[in-house]
Amino acid sequence: MRKRLGVVLGLLIAVVLLAATAQAGTRGSKVTTVTLSGWSSGPDEDALLQQVVNNFNKSHPSIHVDYSVINGDYGTAMTARFAAHNPPDVFYVDSSVAGSWAQQGVLQPLNGYIKSSKYDTSKFFPSLLGAFTVGKTIYGFPKDWSPLAMEINKGMLGQAGGRAPTNWASLQKVAQTMASKDVTHGGKPICLSPDWARMLAFVYQAGGSLSNITSPAAAAAVNFYVGLMNKGLATTPDKLGSGWCGEALGKGKAAIIFEGNWVLPYMKSTYPNVQYGVFPMVKDKTGGNLAFTVSYSLAKDSKNKQAAWTLLSWLAGKQGMTQWVSKGLALPSRSDVKAIGGRQAFLSAAPFAHGWGFGNPHFSAAYTVMNNDLTAVIAGSKSVASMLSDVASALKG
Amino acid sequence: MATASQAAPAPRSSMLGARLREAGWGYGFVAVPIVVFGLFFVYPFGYAIYISFFHWGILGKQAGAAGTFNYHAVLHDRVFHIALKNIAEYTIGVVPLEMALGLSLALVINQKIHGRNFFRSAFYFPSIASSVAITTIMLYIFNSDGLFNHIIGSHTPWFQSAGTAIWSLVGLNAWTTSGTVMIYYLAGLQAISTDVYEAAALDNTGAWRTFWKITFPLLRPAHFFVLVVFGIGALKLFDQAFIVGGGSGGPNNATQTPVLYIYRDAFSNFDFGKAAAAGVVLFVIIFTLTLVQRLTVGRQEAA
Amino acid sequence: MTLQTSVAAAEPFIPGRARSAIARKAFFYVVILAVAAVFFIPFLWTLATSFKTIPDSVNVHLIPHPWTSSAWRAIWTQYDFKLYIKNSLFLAVVVTGCNLVLSGLGGYAFARLKFPGRELLFLLVLGTLMVPDQLRLIPVFVMLTNWHLIGSFSGYILINLVTATNLFFMRQYFLTIPKDFEEAAKLDGAGPIKTFWKIMLPLALPAISALVILQFQGTWNDFFWPLILFGQGSPHLYTVQLGLAELNFTYSTLWPQICAGSVIAILPILVVFLAFQRYFISGVVSAGVKG
Repeated sequence: MRKRLGVVLGLLIAVVLLAATAQAGTRGSKVTTVTLSGWSSGPDEDALLQQVVNNFNKSHPSIHVDYSVINGDYGTAMTARFAAHNPPDVFYVDSSVAGSWAQQGVLQPLNGYIKSSKYDTSKFFPSLLGAFTVGKTIYGFPKDWSPLAMEINKGMLGQAGGRAPTNWASLQKVAQTMASKDVTHGGKPICLSPDWARMLAFVYQAGGSLSNITSPAAAAAVNFYVGLMNKGLATTPDKLGSGWCGEALGKGKAAIIFEGNWVLPYMKSTYPNVQYGVFPMVKDKTGGNLAFTVSYSLAKDSKNKQAAWTLLSWLAGKQGMTQWVSKGLALPSRSDVKAIGGRQAFLSAAPFAHGWGFGNPHFSAAYTVMNNDLTAVIAGSKSVASMLSDVASALKG
Repeated sequence: MATASQAAPAPRSSMLGARLREAGWGYGFVAVPIVVFGLFFVYPFGYAIYISFFHWGILGKQAGAAGTFNYHAVLHDRVFHIALKNIAEYTIGVVPLEMALGLSLALVINQKIHGRNFFRSAFYFPSIASSVAITTIMLYIFNSDGLFNHIIGSHTPWFQSAGTAIWSLVGLNAWTTSGTVMIYYLAGLQAISTDVYEAAALDNTGAWRTFWKITFPLLRPAHFFVLVVFGIGALKLFDQAFIVGGGSGGPNNATQTPVLYIYRDAFSNFDFGKAAAAGVVLFVIIFTLTLVQRLTVGRQEAA
Repeated sequence: MTLQTSVAAAEPFIPGRARSAIARKAFFYVVILAVAAVFFIPFLWTLATSFKTIPDSVNVHLIPHPWTSSAWRAIWTQYDFKLYIKNSLFLAVVVTGCNLVLSGLGGYAFARLKFPGRELLFLLVLGTLMVPDQLRLIPVFVMLTNWHLIGSFSGYILINLVTATNLFFMRQYFLTIPKDFEEAAKLDGAGPIKTFWKIMLPLALPAISALVILQFQGTWNDFFWPLILFGQGSPHLYTVQLGLAELNFTYSTLWPQICAGSVIAILPILVVFLAFQRYFISGVVSAGVKG
């Protein structure tokens, strides 16, 4: 046993020395390598983006793009790389953290490149581009977006009269009919996430806004949202045995949910037999919705900024984006690119959608406070007014 | 215990030489570990202490003079207090449970029972799976209408309710670590000479008394190890709390832990100075507790 | 503790004792079988789900409806699990081996060799357990980046050469070995290395087994550091855990594939466990004393 141990140890040392010399390969000097990174939202998305990147490589022979997905804590992995001054050249930035990353100085302002290449940014939807703009400085181009829409189980809607609700009053009425007929067999008519990333849409519908969150309009919206739960017409996904409302819809535990474009591929692959319709988000005093969007941004510490800019501008440009949205996995963020059919319920929200994140550097910190308070309000252990004042001070930093 | 025969008293110079040589070997044996720990633990911790007195962002020092403002912010933060309360409840719940479970399992499979290998593998199973996999599976089983609730006829979302979240985590982690604790106690049990048991059998000592008066005390080095390592591990709870609470520490801060607090300050708010201050506070707490353990359970140990 | 010769204790004959003994034994086996079943169920569920279709995978029952091996085929073809297993195996073997050597020597030194500052250094070792990974992530990562150790396995191996847990454990174990052995070795004129190699190591077989099992598993299941060190730009270095993470998406979890991957991930650890757990034999120490 001991002799074997000795041999094994000797081999181990040899192997460790070998490993120390293993390095990633390098390319010839005529071709610039640009690294592109993002997270993974679905197996089809990864494959599609790789295809788009391959097309770029073919049409731009002097640039080679290395695309790699970060399959885990994207924020932490990126932060570590920023701190080590060794980030990927082009990468995703979620609108909710764009403000903080810009403030930390890790994003390259794009205004100079826009000017020198005479890039036309007017084609981007203003609210989407605005999510990545601080003052007059642009820190990224939105690559796609999705607002919230209302998804309703067709069979259950039929049992409640067959007409999809269009405003708060009709929403409540339809839910009441559904509840009295127990269409969900023990579930609840509406699934509501205990999440400001859904409830905030209702605040805008009531005429409120995040910048003035302590207004009576905002309080009215929260009271309506939580009120639906107190009236037994709605509940949170965990009480329906689900991780999120999409799962509740699939399991037949909820008839009405409010989710974005991402619920479509999910339902198709996981619950293909559930018949549901996609309807525009309800309105109240006005239309109100949230725009969830992600940008392509350039690293301040990138060593190949010009080549990276070429990639970025192409991906977010008409050509790249047309290929990206061709499978309907996301909606185009440019007005000169058409979405595939069947997405009208989402596209009609464009005029009312507010970019989630709002360019506020304190947003991601405030978001945690916001949601913890909301779960307390839903449980009845905190008042709405107290939560709204917490939110207001958290957003100021 | 057999006594070593003493050689005739050696001259003082060679005794000193022997001691120097032993010290040399001692340092030699611990050299590499100490260097590794120094580089990858002591230096980063020293760095953390340094930046805890500044405003510190991703790219380094930000404007503002040095001061204890970060410590002030952390110690007066209601959320940090909740995190401390949660982790205290969690640790007091999980550590005794882990030790009891692990020791029981070790005792069971240390005997000559039929299918010993099978049982060893079965008891070790929950510890094998990665924490992400097992937590996801358990989240599924303990859903509001998952397998567990089907059996006991309840509808409580065990991991998602503010009241039951921490205790569900206690149950989950005690179960998954019991296999690991079992292995450590198994190893410790092997070191107890069978002579002890034979002597006890000769005296007609019952099984329970043999365990309590003989086995249990002889496992003291193992107890100290398990208490310290798993106690510290409990105080550093992060993975499962993150998965269960979705990283926000919710619902309503029920899954807030000190390490989650540090993590969010660092990687969500980019307030590295404050995160470092919280880390130093946590370290002081853990260090004090460990020192107490060392002075009580870990006494009478040194060679 | 005196050396004694073993004497089989004669049991007095008491009527009825045989039957109650059997009843107690039966009860004992029922209980531990039930416990084993509870411990096994999640694994059974994982195995079963790996043979389900995606729509069926969200259901609770243990029998797939319909039965399909598409998840297994997808794992093998779409994802490079052969490479991931190779990488994980390499890291686990190297890290376990290094830990074995360094913890063995270090643990022995802390338990039995006298050197000034020993208790203080040991406190330092314990101290490393109290620093959470999240706190030391940035300084460690910046250090490894500056030394160009990010795009290869070397960085990971370097920071995992030895852990305080293993060192602490070996020390505790060496403390329980009676000093008779070393005194005997000293009389024979053996130095620390010889004593360690010929005497302490064989006596520490149960501890070594425990360390091999647990460290192999720890490295195999490690997700955090491989993610940070290889997770971006180095897909050729991916471990099994990173491969599994490829199957986790925000809004569409491929349960059957994840379960199939998890089964693949668990098997090597099980093999190592079964191979080394038979060294947990009682009486290794006492045999040495008698001999």
